[in-house]
Amino acid sequence: MSSSLSYSLNGYHGIILPGPSVGLDVNGNVAKHIFISHAHADHLPRDRNMHVYASAATEKLMRIRGFKGDVTTLAFNKPIELDTCRVTLYPAGHILGSAMIGVECDEGHILYSGDYRNPPSPVSEGFDCPDTVDYFITEATFPLPIYKWKPHEELFRGIRDFALECLETDTTPVFLCYNLGKAQEVMHALAPLKKRVQIHGAGYKLSQVYSEMGYDLGVYESYNKDTVQEGRILVTPSSSVEQPMVRNIRRKKLAYVSGWAAHESRRSQLTVDKLIPLSDHIDFFNLLDLCRKLNPKTVYLTHTPNPAVVQHYLEKEGIHALPLNMEAHDEE
Amino acid sequence: MMKSKSTFRGFCEVARKISETRSTVRKTTIFAEYLQSLEQDECIELAAQFMGEGAFSSVSGKRASVGHRTVAVCASEFCDIDYDLVFRACRTATGSASESIEKLMENLPAAQNRIKPEFLSLGEVYEFYAKLEQTRKRDEKNSLLQAFWEKMTPLEIKFFIRIMSQGSLRIGFEARSIVNSFAKAWNHDTEEVRYAHMITGSLGKTALLCKNNDLESARFRLFHPISFMLASPVESRNAGDLAEYVAEEKFDGMRCQVHAEGASVKLFSRDMNDITVSFPELATFFSSLNPKAVVLDGEICVFRDDTIQPFQELQKRMGVKKPGKKLLNQFSVVFIAYDILYIDGTPVFDETLTQRRERLQTFCETHGIMMSRQFPLENDADVEQLFDMALAHGNEGLMLKRKDSTYEYGQRRKSWLKVKKPGGSVDTVIMYAHAGSGKRGGLYSDFTLGISVADDERYEEMFIPIGKAYGGYTDDELKKLNKAIKPLVADRFGSTLSLKPGIVVEIEFDDIQINKRTKAGITLRLPRFRAIRWDLSPSDADTLKDVEKLLEEKMNQKREKITENPAVIRS
Repeated sequence: MSSSLSYSLNGYHGIILPGPSVGLDVNGNVAKHIFISHAHADHLPRDRNMHVYASAATEKLMRIRGFKGDVTTLAFNKPIELDTCRVTLYPAGHILGSAMIGVECDEGHILYSGDYRNPPSPVSEGFDCPDTVDYFITEATFPLPIYKWKPHEELFRGIRDFALECLETDTTPVFLCYNLGKAQEVMHALAPLKKRVQIHGAGYKLSQVYSEMGYDLGVYESYNKDTVQEGRILVTPSSSVEQPMVRNIRRKKLAYVSGWAAHESRRSQLTVDKLIPLSDHIDFFNLLDLCRKLNPKTVYLTHTPNPAVVQHYLEKEGIHALPLNMEAHDEE
Repeated sequence: MMKSKSTFRGFCEVARKISETRSTVRKTTIFAEYLQSLEQDECIELAAQFMGEGAFSSVSGKRASVGHRTVAVCASEFCDIDYDLVFRACRTATGSASESIEKLMENLPAAQNRIKPEFLSLGEVYEFYAKLEQTRKRDEKNSLLQAFWEKMTPLEIKFFIRIMSQGSLRIGFEARSIVNSFAKAWNHDTEEVRYAHMITGSLGKTALLCKNNDLESARFRLFHPISFMLASPVESRNAGDLAEYVAEEKFDGMRCQVHAEGASVKLFSRDMNDITVSFPELATFFSSLNPKAVVLDGEICVFRDDTIQPFQELQKRMGVKKPGKKLLNQFSVVFIAYDILYIDGTPVFDETLTQRRERLQTFCETHGIMMSRQFPLENDADVEQLFDMALAHGNEGLMLKRKDSTYEYGQRRKSWLKVKKPGGSVDTVIMYAHAGSGKRGGLYSDFTLGISVADDERYEEMFIPIGKAYGGYTDDELKKLNKAIKPLVADRFGSTLSLKPGIVVEIEFDDIQINKRTKAGITLRLPRFRAIRWDLSPSDADTLKDVEKLLEEKMNQKREKITENPAVIRS
């Protein structure tokens, strides 16, 4: 086996392993076996009618987001034997249903991370991975040593404290966060308060999947500008800040919940009161730790604003690392 | 160890709290309460100074003089990371060196192992700055910094760096609000406190005067500059009734405050630096008048053949300390007065413009000092007519001044409005994108713009830089621009992207300047975006020759002899 993996890219979207003819988060029907890591839009196929493999929760979430094709659901940690390879989904800790995809084939053991987080989100199936692999294709959304996440419990306490401080002064706390994954994590953090939470419509349906699967999101209801009642807690995407439904709340305070809240500049860019750096991506330090543990022949870095720094640290420890540059590929 | 609020750490916690508070009133209260909790005068003075001025009082002229690069390299050593590869990437991501340093210090074991935080007092931190100020060599500054940082938490290190650069703490809490905190903390009238600040030029001193109930002692002193009154662009304000204003032509020169008494003269620039030695002919002129104590506000312009020369000529004199005979002859300057702040032993900034004007006129006529002419206004048509006339005279535009306004030192409000015409606009191509900082962290917000030299025999390139613009676009346009540059990236150097020609931007500028150090030989003054021309391609960009022609026209523009120039009264 050589130290480099043969792969091709599906435009900006997804990776193809031509050996076993496996497509990972690809856009259309471009390989024999296609796997979807999780239900965020940038990982879902644009072709809504093809056959894919995914976890049970991912299937449910994909359906809500309009996928109509055929989904073979796979349990975590239970390999499926295909004609060209053996594939295992590992819980990725990113959002509910998120999976890392392990492919064992003639070229060796390849692990594709999708988006992931370790320690995992408490409203996900947890985190697990193989002991070692030959190739590790990993996202690196936060690839610099300025990114080191605080423990959940500390951030969750921050979420609760912010909500309580607001409510005590008759102010509506508004949590700005992505409506799949982060919104539910915020609601889970708020659940012990036993206060009513209103969630933006699109996020409401997705939240129901979490509830059905037994995750505690507290008391919540769908939100729209006619039913909003001041004094409740609002969870909504940051894009809604400029819309009347949020603008019309007279007394409110805004908290921005995202890994990007680690940047002070976001405070004035978004004019928010509170930055809560709760991310659903792995931080720089845990990324390096995982690479050490998996000890692959090559680490491929994707979905990253800057592969050079992670590469530099891995190479220092003798782990070969390369950027898997989707944008560069697209230009060729 | 004392762990009271008077420690530097206590100060930093307050600064953090202020940064996390959005309401200005609330910010002011937090700082006022903090100041009240401090007992010693020394602590109060330093806390006020650190909050709004920096390591040293801005009138002291002292600086720690540690460059951005020294700080960054030193922090990289401290954290054991590669400066070029790792540190610069972090700074690009956050848009702030000090914020990156705080996070690196928090996260990296190499730094954590070195840091043994102490509860430093504000006085001890001041001593650190004083040591840095006294040290000349860069490597000595470097080892001092590292020794200091070992005693601080990452939060303290971040604010230590921001204070050291004599700049803003970037917590949305600037001098005006700080002064309000003093008023609130010790129950004084805000205007009185602001006056004391203007006179002392020092936040630390002002805080102490407030605390010790001694605002009375803040008196104007001759030969100490006070902040200039500033003008707002007329487009940004609603002037209201124009009959309340008078107009003066706006000279394309350099703002100057003259302090004179008998044979003694001092000249101060807009940023309150002493520029007396740079303009010896003015110093000689004023001391020859042997005047009573006086402070004048006005403009320095190059004056030759009885004519005010373009700003480009004044540039040859700016920054030249002790100019030689040749320069003095070729580019001799005059001072044109337009305001008076002090006369007969009394500050007169609280008088109305009309009253000050009377005093100014008397003084200038007595001593033969050039003075700007005022024109009455009634309506927009008057403004337009006067504006066109000002341009015809070779001046920059108009100043509209409210007749009943006091001299609002250090403020930019609507009592003075400037009416200017853009120097021109050209279509350029984006050559480089630079990562933004502060509020624009995480975005490419500064752009180096290129002008076409494709058919210019003097150059081999297609485009060469003509200026750098970092404004004039909307937030949405900036986002769109950040997307559009992605596929054009040819190369990366740290926080800069080199781009293939692709995006055409129409830029507006105030003026064209000769600048021999640049490839083009000229630069544009204050270039800003007027429109992103998605409809144009790089081959549509204007050429360097087009810009040179504009400059030539400007230099050769007809200029009125002073005897015939109604903008100036020559007493």
